[in-house]
Amino acid sequence: MSTILTYVAVSNGKLKRSSLEVLSHCRELAKVNGYKSEAVIIDSNASRFAEQVAKYGPDTVYVIEHPIFRDHMNQPLLDALEMVVKQSNPMLTAFASTEAVKDVLGALAMRLDAKALPDVASFELKDGAVESLRPIMAAKLMARTKVVGDRMLVSVRSGSYDVSESEIQPEIKKLDFTYNENALKMELRDIITSSGGGVDLAEAPVVVSGGRGIKDEAGKKMVHDLADLMGGAVGASRAVTESGLFPATAQIGQTGKVVSPQIYFAVGISGAIQHVAGMSNSKVIVAINKDPEAPIFDIATYGLVGDLYKILPPLIEEVKKAQS
Amino acid sequence: MKFHICIKQVPDITAPISIRNGELVFETDRVVLDAYSASAVEESLVLTEKHGGETSIISIGPDKVKETIRKALAMGAEKATHIKTDENASLDSSVFARLLAAYFEKNPDYEVILLGKQAQDTDAGLTGSMLAEKMNLSYATNAVGLEYDESANKMIVTRQGDAGQEVIALQIPCLITCSNDMNDPRIPNLRGIMQSKKKPVEEISPDDLGYPSDKLQQLASTEITGYEPMPERQPGKKLEGEPVELAKQLVDLLQNEAKVL
Repeated sequence: MSTILTYVAVSNGKLKRSSLEVLSHCRELAKVNGYKSEAVIIDSNASRFAEQVAKYGPDTVYVIEHPIFRDHMNQPLLDALEMVVKQSNPMLTAFASTEAVKDVLGALAMRLDAKALPDVASFELKDGAVESLRPIMAAKLMARTKVVGDRMLVSVRSGSYDVSESEIQPEIKKLDFTYNENALKMELRDIITSSGGGVDLAEAPVVVSGGRGIKDEAGKKMVHDLADLMGGAVGASRAVTESGLFPATAQIGQTGKVVSPQIYFAVGISGAIQHVAGMSNSKVIVAINKDPEAPIFDIATYGLVGDLYKILPPLIEEVKKAQS
Repeated sequence: MKFHICIKQVPDITAPISIRNGELVFETDRVVLDAYSASAVEESLVLTEKHGGETSIISIGPDKVKETIRKALAMGAEKATHIKTDENASLDSSVFARLLAAYFEKNPDYEVILLGKQAQDTDAGLTGSMLAEKMNLSYATNAVGLEYDESANKMIVTRQGDAGQEVIALQIPCLITCSNDMNDPRIPNLRGIMQSKKKPVEEISPDDLGYPSDKLQQLASTEITGYEPMPERQPGKKLEGEPVELAKQLVDLLQNEAKVL
């Protein structure tokens, strides 16, 4: 029987929502096609998460646990993925398109002689082929892109599918993974987290993003205050990461991160196509902009026309009231 | 330090693009140096200015790719190799990676190989790590900062990760893919443009690298079967008025209509 394997990533001690979206979709694809759905967790504490993954209905959960996976490094991750693919022998291996996955997908495809579809917005199985829609040309349009083969890889943009549970009692298989750290040709020297204590922007339920309309530290502080108040993360458009007002880690868009929170606040962001590509899967988009013609209003669920410096202070107060 | 920069020529994606009869129609036929590739070239120039060394360019594509190679030479690179392919061949990351790996196997004097982290036309981001794997090189992707540690003879890469920036030391030889957040690529000046015309550009064919030109396309692993417009989000409510009123209305809508607060 053919198998679809999903790599479930862990971040800040939690399963990544974007991975669970992919696992949920793969379980349904497997059901329709009469395939097996399997999952793999690769982490320094992988065993802890096996039961949680069971909720999303894979027939088998592979567990690869090793201290080396505490932080991301491409060499050991590649070795672990190679190991589980050889064990599970899936026709398709699916991933959430995280930065860690972007780091290894091409290398894994080359190592396994597999065919890869990176960063897709959706995908389907058709007669042994995988057909996907991928944003291209800086997200101006989508290319219907297809691969055929007995070893295929696909990585999926965050927010493309809903998470759904379907609990079963999966078989849990622990794979023995040994790694000789001396064989590493690389060394992770440091991890620099910006303000927000290393919150994974791509996983945050609320994202408050600043753009060109934010002129100074005072404006930036209001963006941070609103994000903190809502338990969210701070994002930014390219204009203000380039100017240095916001850190490069915060950049959202086709060249930055793709996010799909419950609420996305675009504060002083005009809505250039490259930015929209990184946030258009958000459930609710709130835009605050003084230019009523700004393209962001074409996609916003709620658009507030006005000066962000005048709107944010009462908005922060109203959110506080609503929460109390 | 010997830097080899693999660059790509792309259509000018800032110009309007439409879909007609299932094909892409570009408003202009202008082709440009991919922005991520340009950052890779710039980074190499900065590092060789500081530490000494040489910047060599490699690019794959039809004859018109020479125009883009000249651009990189005008920025300051010393020499270039053009792997010339057929005008209409539709090649993908796996073909590029195989051709480049074959090139480096024949020309093993590389130390640091740089590429863009993705290209502006396909946004795939596979070629770099595919090439590293094929060459068995240590690598890092999505670099936003790059330094050379002379005493340790290592490249120090700051890469954008999921929850922060990871600082990685790589043994040389190695491969690094560059983000466009790394630097602002220089605009060639007149002197650079004049000089670029005298710089050597070696032209080779895929056949020279052991890949018959007429069979190249068969190596491609992906097939594009059509194009679609980006799905559109419908605009919702646009609110105007006094800031305090706007704030109240919004919170009410988030609580009672969208039910996300």
